[in-house]
Amino acid sequence: MTATDTGLQAEYAAIFACGAAAVHLDGAPRDQAEALEAEHRSRRDALLDHYAAAGAEAPAPAAGYDVGAIADAAAAQELLTKVETDVTATWRAGVAAADPQERQRCLDMYAASAVALARWRRAIGQAAANPWPGRPA
Amino acid sequence: MFTTRRGLLIGAAALAAAGCTEQAQITISDADLTAALRTARALAQGAEALGYSEIAADHRTHAETLERLLRPSSISEEKAEPPADAEALAAAETAGSAEAAASCMTTESDYAVLFGEIAASRAAHAAVIA
Repeated sequence: MTATDTGLQAEYAAIFACGAAAVHLDGAPRDQAEALEAEHRSRRDALLDHYAAAGAEAPAPAAGYDVGAIADAAAAQELLTKVETDVTATWRAGVAAADPQERQRCLDMYAASAVALARWRRAIGQAAANPWPGRPA
Repeated sequence: MFTTRRGLLIGAAALAAAGCTEQAQITISDADLTAALRTARALAQGAEALGYSEIAADHRTHAETLERLLRPSSISEEKAEPPADAEALAAAETAGSAEAAASCMTTESDYAVLFGEIAASRAAHAAVIA
C-alpha cells in the first residue's frame, strides 16, 4: 500500500465522519464541519483523478466506518478533531516518500490538512497554532 | 562520502569499528536548515510585533529545533523589519511555507519531513491570520 493509498483511505473515513458529526453541530462549528466535508470530497476527487491518469486502481472506500456514538455537540467536536488530526498525521507520514511525485502529492495534501485542522480548531474555540501539525505525541 | 546525518553516524560507527579512536565530530552545514532558521526567526519577530504570540511561539519552536540540528555551527539572529499589518504577515507566512516546501522536495539531507512540517505549520498560520 502506498502513502497515497493510505491518504485516500483517510479521506474516505473523514468524509464519513464529517457527515455523521455535522448534524449535531450549530453555528460556526457546523459551517466549518460542512466546509471540511466539501474539502475532503475535493481531495478524494483529486486523488481519484490521479489514479485514473496513472491507469491504476484506486482503493475503494469501506461500506462504513466506526465513529462511535455521537451523543451531542461536544462528542461531534471531539470526533472531528480526532479525524482531522488523523488525516493530517497520515499525509505527514507520506512526506517521507522517496519518490518525488509521491512526496509532492503528500506534501500538498499535508499542508492542506494542516490548514483545515487549524481552521477547525479555531471554529471550536481552540488554539490553532501548532509547530508540528500531525506529529505523533 | 558521509553527506547526511545518518551517513555521518554510520561513518562514525564504521571508524570506531575499524579501531580509529579519534572522536568523531558531526558537523552539518545545510543551506536549507540555515534558510529555514533565518525565516523562522524573522517570522517570530513579525508575529510577536503584531500580537500573534501563539504563532510566534511556533516559530521559536522551529528555530530551537533548527539551531539544535545546525550545531556546532551557529547563526546569529538579525533584526527583521516587522510586517506592516496582518495581511503582510500572512503573505510572509505563505512565502515561508513555500520556501520550506521547496526544501522538503530538494533536500539531500534526512530532513524532508521536518521541512514539510514547517511548511504545513506556516501554511496554517497564513490561513488563520488571513
